Order: sequence, then structure tokens, then C-alpha cells
Amino acid sequence: MTVVTANKLLGDPVDRVDGPLKVTGAAPYPSDVTYPGLVHAVLVQSTIAAGTIRSIDAADAEAAPGVLAVITHENAPALAEGPMTPLLGPAPPSPLKDNRILHHGQHVAIVVAETLEQATAAARLVRIDYEETAPVLGIDNPEAAVLRNPWGLETQRGDAAAALASAEVVYDETFAIAAGTNNPLGLFATVARWEGDRLIVHESTQWPTMARQTLATVFNVPENDVQVLVPYLGGGFGAGLRTWPHAILTALAARLVDRPVKLVLTRPQMFTSVGHRAETTQRLRLGATRAGRLVAIDHVGTSTLGAEAANMEFISIETGAAYACPNVATHDRQVRLNIPSPGWMRGPGSEGNFAIESALDELSYTLGIDPLELRLRNYAEVHPQSGLPWSSKALRECYRVGAERFGWTRRTPEIGSMREGNWLVGYGMAGVTFGGAQLPCQVRVSIRRDGSAHVRSAATDIGTGTYTVATQLAAELLGLDIGQVRVEIGDSDLAPAPPSGGSSLATSLGGAIRDAAGNLLRAFLNVLAEDHRSPLQGRRRDDVTAADGRIHLVDDPSVGETYSDILARHELDELAADGEINPQADGAGMAPSGPFAARFAEVRIDAELGLLRVARIVSAVDAGRILNEKLARSQIIGATVMGIGMTMLEETIFDPGSGRIANATFGDYLIPVNADVPDLDVVFVGEPDRFSPIGSKGLGEVGIVGVSAAIANAVYHATGRRIRSLPITIDQLL
Amino acid sequence: MTRIITLRVNGKSYENEVSPRLLLVHYLRDVLGLTGTHIACDTSQCGACTVMFNGESVKSCTMLAVQADGGEVKTVEGLATNGKLHPLQQGFWEKHGLQCGFCTPGMLMSSLNLLQRNPDPTPDEIRHALEGNLCRCTGYQNIVAAVQWAAQEMKAKPAAGVAE
Ligand code: FES
Ligand code: FES
Repeated sequence: MTVVTANKLLGDPVDRVDGPLKVTGAAPYPSDVTYPGLVHAVLVQSTIAAGTIRSIDAADAEAAPGVLAVITHENAPALAEGPMTPLLGPAPPSPLKDNRILHHGQHVAIVVAETLEQATAAARLVRIDYEETAPVLGIDNPEAAVLRNPWGLETQRGDAAAALASAEVVYDETFAIAAGTNNPLGLFATVARWEGDRLIVHESTQWPTMARQTLATVFNVPENDVQVLVPYLGGGFGAGLRTWPHAILTALAARLVDRPVKLVLTRPQMFTSVGHRAETTQRLRLGATRAGRLVAIDHVGTSTLGAEAANMEFISIETGAAYACPNVATHDRQVRLNIPSPGWMRGPGSEGNFAIESALDELSYTLGIDPLELRLRNYAEVHPQSGLPWSSKALRECYRVGAERFGWTRRTPEIGSMREGNWLVGYGMAGVTFGGAQLPCQVRVSIRRDGSAHVRSAATDIGTGTYTVATQLAAELLGLDIGQVRVEIGDSDLAPAPPSGGSSLATSLGGAIRDAAGNLLRAFLNVLAEDHRSPLQGRRRDDVTAADGRIHLVDDPSVGETYSDILARHELDELAADGEINPQADGAGMAPSGPFAARFAEVRIDAELGLLRVARIVSAVDAGRILNEKLARSQIIGATVMGIGMTMLEETIFDPGSGRIANATFGDYLIPVNADVPDLDVVFVGEPDRFSPIGSKGLGEVGIVGVSAAIANAVYHATGRRIRSLPITIDQLL
Repeated sequence: MTRIITLRVNGKSYENEVSPRLLLVHYLRDVLGLTGTHIACDTSQCGACTVMFNGESVKSCTMLAVQADGGEVKTVEGLATNGKLHPLQQGFWEKHGLQCGFCTPGMLMSSLNLLQRNPDPTPDEIRHALEGNLCRCTGYQNIVAAVQWAAQEMKAKPAAGVAE
């Protein structure tokens, strides 16, 4: 087993650098921001799911104490639509366009008052007369418009239909997963302020560069005149990947009342305003030989979509990559309904994993082959679609190490055979092949005369540990102590960066920091090019390296000098260099890998009550080089618990008649609490990835993938009940 | 209509004129500027707003500021003494009991309440005592470890964890 560690700082379990700020309550989140003269906004949301507004009577609200404005579609200026967003597609439609209602909870007015209490009270006085029409609801509603292959991401190879028709064994089942809501703990907030034509927004976003672009487009101002700030964020899980209508409304309100305006969403509004994991259904057909070789996969994934919004959903995106199977067809369908727009929620594509990994488990019983062995028989040694070698893949090692730690060999194959008294015990497992992209990213790194370094980029830390990892990397690459590096992120004025999302940021930013550090050493050597007093004069980048605050020759560490000495002698306060990555997979001669994992779960079910308990989960993860073991492990544990929520608790319920979300509070929408959490074991295996400049692969999402299938497969092993719909509830087990 | 309230927060006395409908959490955050106490729900279910009131942990979103009149409040900002982190704060940092940190202040105050009643809790006791504090990031495992770490530390150096 190779546990990935690296030279010096990388891989060290460095304590997070933002720890002290966060344990003292001093980390400023967007909702903490205030300004002199700041006023408060409250949203008014539609109470019907479809129809039009006949009239709005805002007179009482406008006359209420402290009220500064009631903005509706009747008095709002026309706003442009947001731009096409890289990675995610069209921006959410701009608000208050007209009198049409497309979903329950649509923002129909924003009320601004001196105090939050005044705005809240006045919002209740806005009277709206609706003309209601029958909403289109329900994923299988025949009246709903269906989009086919909306993103051009379907996979075709070989002839899946023919191979299915002639396969020795055929599997054909359907799966259903309830809608879920991201629910970061931090309520999303926007504080907007205009200085003339310049807009400053403190915004709950995972992507300041995108938020700036969106606001600039919507308000028709130059991008340089918009600044988006988010030094700290109370979690995101995908909800902060778009600039949603409430943020636009807050900026609009600030412009109209000419005061700084703060809007904090309520918890129910977090269900209707910032996306959610779409409800999905899947039909999965497999063809296999009696010896357990897959010969065909046909996978249809259907997800819900808002009436007019776009959401890049790809349930079956990994289906073609996960196993060596010659004939594969995947199909993406989106169904337009009168619901708030879905969006990404941690690990989009995990739905497809649930189906494939459940199906393989079923096949293992049909064929009498151990579930783990079945996966190994179909192991994709190269990328099955392109035929290219993976840039890294240690899934086999994940299986081996995970199985060992879990004690998979103790499993007796017969259903119900591991019963302990009243407890039905089951073991289940799942394999995980997940995507993860490196995205274009820029950064500026500088060193000051006091020897300290400064790293600046418009990236964010949504809790994942960007500050810490960036600090470690810069320290390592520039030969400095952790304490000498300051990282400044969460500000759209800095060098453009990709989102904290899609498991992309640490690797992308890390690659850019590496580039910048190299450029910075070059910049120092340039300064010394004509400097006869320097032992490094005339040296090239490849001749030198950095350690202990100095640049020295690779061959002879005694020949060199400190950054401080160089800067002082040349009377420079600071030397800076930019860095970037622009990953190009085409022509790289390899298939860029995302992370891989194997999950093993033990469940216990009370034979009489149907009560389901997850006793333990072992996760073996290949995420390439691990930059910080402590942070990485925490990502996997946290995501695993979110996966337990998805599997056993979480369900956003749309009332089938009204389209209203029936459980939009923490009392009714259950997320795992402390006492729900079992014994969780995490182990990292694998080697640095060849396509990633720093060897890492994203690990923010992989931890949620495979949890559902591992648990459902264990439930089957314990009880003989095959559950193909999530969440698994007690009534399915009685 | 407003009311005058006087109370002590983190050892300092305050007197303010407040609206009777003002929640304690908004008083702390908006009037006193103590934004370490967070709000994450509207139904008293998340625990992010937990503070100590007269020595007991309370959810400050379920109390009006006027109800705190004459009382003593301690928030996360009052947990460290003279710039030295409380063992619980140290534990959450060292044991990585946080990611985004939004739940952390409430989690710390509930943990403080637990350790005052039970200085040596088992992992199970910690899990149940902190059941009312939601965390969406960490998966809780490191939070349990952090509280255990702090309990050990406070046993070893009793003075370290004295909450006035
Ligand atoms: S804010 Fe959620 S319990 Fe007080
Ligand atoms: S650390 Fe983010 S909610 Fe707990």
C-alpha cells in the first residue's frame, strides 16, 4: 500500500491557518458585514406555483414605519440576463422581469426598511392578487416538456442495443432518488453598496469571478466596477455556484434606495432560492456474460428542471468511464416543472453511481460472484471511452486496502447469514469513479523585503481549507515557513480563479501557485542578472531551488542568498510574479483522472422494528497526492456523513398539488446530527497524478459518492430487500 | 415603544434602548457588533446561536433582548482569556473540529455547557449533548475528538478552562 506523502510540507497535517479566527468568532462571513446607514431587505415570495400576478397592492407596505422601498415587477427597471457561465451554462433568469409565476417561492417583491423587523413586518403587508393556473409538477408528469441530451454529454460506444439483445444475462431496473437541499449552515447573505457606478457586494458565493461577471452583465456596468467579497463562507455544497436572483435584487435595491442594503435568506428561503439536488429517476440495463463480464450498459437518467432555468445535470456522466465494457449508451433527460431551479449539490453524478453500483451488486447475486470480484473482472485498466491510459488510477488498491481494513473476507455471501440475535447484519460495498476537473486559474505571488510571501487570487475557502493548502504550497515552493506566507482570497479584484466547486479548486490554484513560484524565482534571478555581488548572478531557473528563505544552487546549497538580502540590496520593497494554469487535456496522451474510491459499509437492522443503523463505513480513496492529510480526511468524513443523509434522511418534498416545499425547515428536513454518525474510517492510497502539476486530484465531492450504494447493498445482504429508491425509509424495511 | 435594558456581556456592562421585539441574537450581533454568534435557522433547531445566559446555554434566537435584562451573557468572543484560547477553542483547532466554522461558536458554547456539567464525557455523551447543534461540514467525528481533547486538557490544567 502506498499512502501518499510527499517531501516536506506537502501532506503534513498542518492545522488550518484560519482556525484561530473561526474559534474566536472573528471570521467575517457575508452576513456579518455592516455599514453606516445600512438598511435591511426582506423578500416577498410567490404563494402559487404557476400563473400570473393580476395586481400588486403595496400601499400599506410602503406606508409602514421605516419602509424605504417596495420593489416589484411593476416598478423595477428592466435588468439584462446574466451571462453564459463556463462549466455551468446559462445564468439563472434575472428577477422581476414580468408578471409570470414559474414556481412557488419565486421572488415577487423586495421590501427595504431601516430595520430588519420593519422590513419583515412590511413584507407581510404586500397584497398580491394572483391568476392561478395548474402547475406542472411530478417527474413523471406526461404534460411536462422533456429535454433530450440537453448538454451533449451522452456517451455512445459500440452497439448497446444489439449487445443487450444477445447478452447471456440481462439486468433491467429503475431507480429513484428524492430531491435534496444543499443547506449549508450559513444562511446566504448579500450586502450591496453602490459608490456612484461602482458596485461592492459582500456575497455568499463559491465563485467571486463568476459573481462579478454576472452582476456586471445584469447591471450593464464594466466588470472592473464590480467587486465581490467573500473572505469566509458558511459552507456552500454547490448552492453558491450561481449568482441567484436574491443577490441581484439586493444590488438593485441598494441602487434604488441609495443606501447599503443587507439581505439574509431565511432557512425556508434557502430551499427555494439557491438551487437543490434535482429529483431523479433512472433506468439501467446491463448485459453480462455468465462469467461476469459486462457486455452492454444502457443508462437513462432523468432529472427535474425549473420551468425556464438551466442546470447542467449529468446523472450518467461516469457510467461510460467506470468499467471496461465495449457497448455503452447513456441518455440524459430533463423534465421542466414549476419548481425552484435545481442546481449542483455536492457530487453531481453520485446518483448514477447509486444505480450502477446497486446493479452490479444485484448481478453478483445472480451470477454467484463476490461483489468485489465482479468489479475487478470489469476493471477499466485504461479509459474505456478514449482508450488512453489514466493519468493515475489506484482503484484496485482502494478495493484491496479498503476490503482489508473493513474485513470484507468475513462476509458470508448468503442473505441474512450474518444475523446477530435481533440484529440483521449486512455488508455492502461500492466502487467509485468520479470526475474532477482542473480549470484555468491565475494567482499573483510576491515576496517582501521582510521575507514574507503574499499569495493573491479570487479563489474562495468555503470551509474546505483553501487558505491552509495555498499557504502550505507557497511555503514549500518558496522555501518559507508557514507563518511567513499570507494568503488573500475571496475578492474578485484579485486574479481570476475557478469556483470552489467541481472538486477543482485546490488542484487548479495549486498548479497556478506552482507556476507563479517558478516565475518568482526567475524574477529574482533576473534582478541578479547583472549583480556581480550576488553568488547567483547569471544563474538560470533550473540551477536553483529555494529553502529557508533563500535561493540557492541545487548542486551546492551553500551558494545562495536570502530573498531579503536581494530585495534590500536592490532597494525593492517587493517582487511579484503571476502564475496560471490552463489545462489542456487534448493531446496530453492520457485521460485526466478524477478521484477513485471504494466504500464498504456495515448495517444493522432491527428485525422487528425495521430500524436501520449504519454501524461503520470504510472509505479507501485515491485522490492523488494528498496536500494536507488532516483537511483531506475531514473532507471525506464530512462528505460521507452527507452521503448518509442522502441515503437515509434527506428528502425535499414538493407538495404535489401546490408545488410548495412542504418541509423547508431543519425540523422537517432532516440532516444528520452528531448522534447519527457511525464509526468512519478513511484511508488514502495511490500516487501523485501525472496530469496535475501538483499531483493532487479533487477530493471535495468524492466522499459523498458510493455511500448510498454501499449502504443499500448492505441492507440487501442483511435482509434480502433490494431498495432502489432514496432515501431508504423504515417503511421500505418492514 | 422601546425599553431600556442593562446587562453584562462577556464581563462588560451595557445599557441600551431596544425594541421589545428584538431578539437577543440580533441585539448581540447588530447592536453590540458581536457577530461571532451566528444565525442559521428560524425555528430554534440549529444551535448556531448558542450563548451562555446566567451560566446555562441558551439559543439566543429564542430569547428576546428584554428577557436578558439584568442578566449575564457570555458569547464566543468572551471564551478566550487575555488572548489565550480556551481549551475548547484549542481543541476545535487542533483536532480540526471545524471546516466552514459557521457552527463553531454555537458548538463551542454547547460544549462548554456540557463540560461544566460533565467534565469527563464519553464520546456517546458528547454526541448526545451536541445533538442540538447542527454541522453540515465536518461529519462531527472531529468535533467529538475536540471536546474530548479539551476535557483532558481541563483535567490536566484545571485553571485553563475556568469560565469565570
Ligand atoms: S439560529 Fe438556529 S437555533 Fe438559533
Ligand atoms: S463547520 Fe461548517 S457547519 Fe460546522
